[in-house]
Amino acid sequence: MSKHRRYRRALRWSLLLLALVLVLPLVPYAVAAGGTQFNTPGVELWDAVRARVQGPMRTQVEGVQSNQLINYWGDQWRLFRSQLLVPIGAVMLLAMLGIITVFYLVRGRIEIEGGRSGVLVPRFSVNQRVVHWLAATVFIVLGLTGLVLLYGRYVLVPLLGPEGFGVTASACKEMHNLFGPLFPVAILAIMFSFGRGNSFRGIDFQWFLKAGGLFGHAMADSGYYNGGQKTWFWLTVLFGIAMSVTGLILVFPNFGQGREAMAVAHVIHGVVAVGFITASLGHIYIGTLGMEGAAESMTNGYVDAAWAKEHHNLWYAEMERAGMVGVSPNTMEEVKRHDDRDFRGFGQPLGRREPLDPTVSPPNRGPTGGGISPAATPSAPKEST
Amino acid sequence: MARMKFFCDAERCIECNGCVTACKNANEVPWGINRRRVVTLNDGEPGERSLSVACMHCSDAPCQAVCPVDCFYQTEDGLVLHDKDICIGCGYCFYACPFGAPQFPSEGAFGSRGKMDKCTFCAGGPEETASAEEQRKYGANRLAEGKLPACAEMCATKALLAGDADEVADIYRERVAYRGAVGMATGWGVGYGKPGIRSNTIDLTGKAAGRD
Repeated sequence: MSKHRRYRRALRWSLLLLALVLVLPLVPYAVAAGGTQFNTPGVELWDAVRARVQGPMRTQVEGVQSNQLINYWGDQWRLFRSQLLVPIGAVMLLAMLGIITVFYLVRGRIEIEGGRSGVLVPRFSVNQRVVHWLAATVFIVLGLTGLVLLYGRYVLVPLLGPEGFGVTASACKEMHNLFGPLFPVAILAIMFSFGRGNSFRGIDFQWFLKAGGLFGHAMADSGYYNGGQKTWFWLTVLFGIAMSVTGLILVFPNFGQGREAMAVAHVIHGVVAVGFITASLGHIYIGTLGMEGAAESMTNGYVDAAWAKEHHNLWYAEMERAGMVGVSPNTMEEVKRHDDRDFRGFGQPLGRREPLDPTVSPPNRGPTGGGISPAATPSAPKEST
Repeated sequence: MARMKFFCDAERCIECNGCVTACKNANEVPWGINRRRVVTLNDGEPGERSLSVACMHCSDAPCQAVCPVDCFYQTEDGLVLHDKDICIGCGYCFYACPFGAPQFPSEGAFGSRGKMDKCTFCAGGPEETASAEEQRKYGANRLAEGKLPACAEMCATKALLAGDADEVADIYRERVAYRGAVGMATGWGVGYGKPGIRSNTIDLTGKAAGRD
């Protein structure tokens, strides 16, 4: 028994000794790891530089942010542009083109179902049309030159070679910079010329529920503008303001706004531009190729009564009541008279029209000779369908 | 093939701006353009440091990645150069560059940017070597003459090193060893070391032993 105990005590002691032999040499290392301080002031400085939190910096060289040692956001901006904007933008634009193509193949051109009536209804005044085409021209120039700058490296450099594309890109950049400052003017003009009648109403939501009658043949009720047109108007205003503000930040580098402001402006500019161009493809399609009788409202300002009845039935009824159906723009004076009327009357949503002044004779309601006349000369003074 | 690099030893730079002046003189850059600049951290406080910064000729250059017209190219020496005939002056390289190297002359409508200008490591550009056209657009081509960039050759304290990356690294490693800051490339307070400290240093290259 006691022999056994002595044996166990010896074992315990030898184990303890072994542990000490193993652990003791580590003690200086442990102390050193926890407690050594090098007297090196530079270390903190370079740690701060690496963490981008260094103190004040100065340089004798004048320039935009020349006193900044490292550009904080440059890499984030580069990754955004090359990994998000370029690929996602391309997918969006190509997807929109694909959707439009499929829609055209499936649905075909949306035609006036009852055929043209030959009776005209005034829709957009000269001022509205001028503003529309001003904005459209500036938009298309800016959109195309912008797309060249965004995708030229991937699409045009293989075709034209770097030197050839350099010339193209240089011209595009100059045009983008020169046309750019016109865009805010165009957007302001759009706001003032098309703002009236573009606030959303209850019937617009019903229009959205029916998807505007794009699918099938049941047309949705609509006043002067339908829900889709109102959406496009407000997109134009919001996107236009965003593009204008960020574009002006980018186009005037001489104010020294610095890299961060310009990179943020570029991010917004790029994202909104891709969305704006994508949406505009839909607008351009439905206004020209996609729908019979739509484009002429923006070319000569008049639409066919049958088209108006199908697509803007409430507005048509209103125009009929006002005696504006069946007028014809035979002379320049006549066109001007209509345009004068525009600013008093048509285009207003239902219920807000001022009563017509009976002393003012209604515009010409019948075929009169001479002067300019659109392709479809009105043959019947009243609606004929 | 050699890979050219700049290195600025912050323990030696005294912010004399000699490199900036040498660069302007060698390359005759336009007014308002500075390809190189000296940035001082904590100016006037104890422990202030200065660094000479220009294009660092990145191996994977952000400017090159982001350029919409693909005007950048890398030489066999690892230099990032660009073609001013292709450049459109959009400024994207300036947004992307970590070091603020790209510079733009203000010309054209609304003070918009002209063709980008930056440090070429005194290696000219894509024009014919030593031609007047190369000199006008890109400045000196000292590398073709067997010289190093003017800024580094002019540096009075030899803080700014330029040349083959391996040799620059050797020189700097020797300095660090001399300073006795084992394991710390930067941060020792004394640039030139104290007499007597040298015998304790580990000479990693074997070059320092015979020199004084």
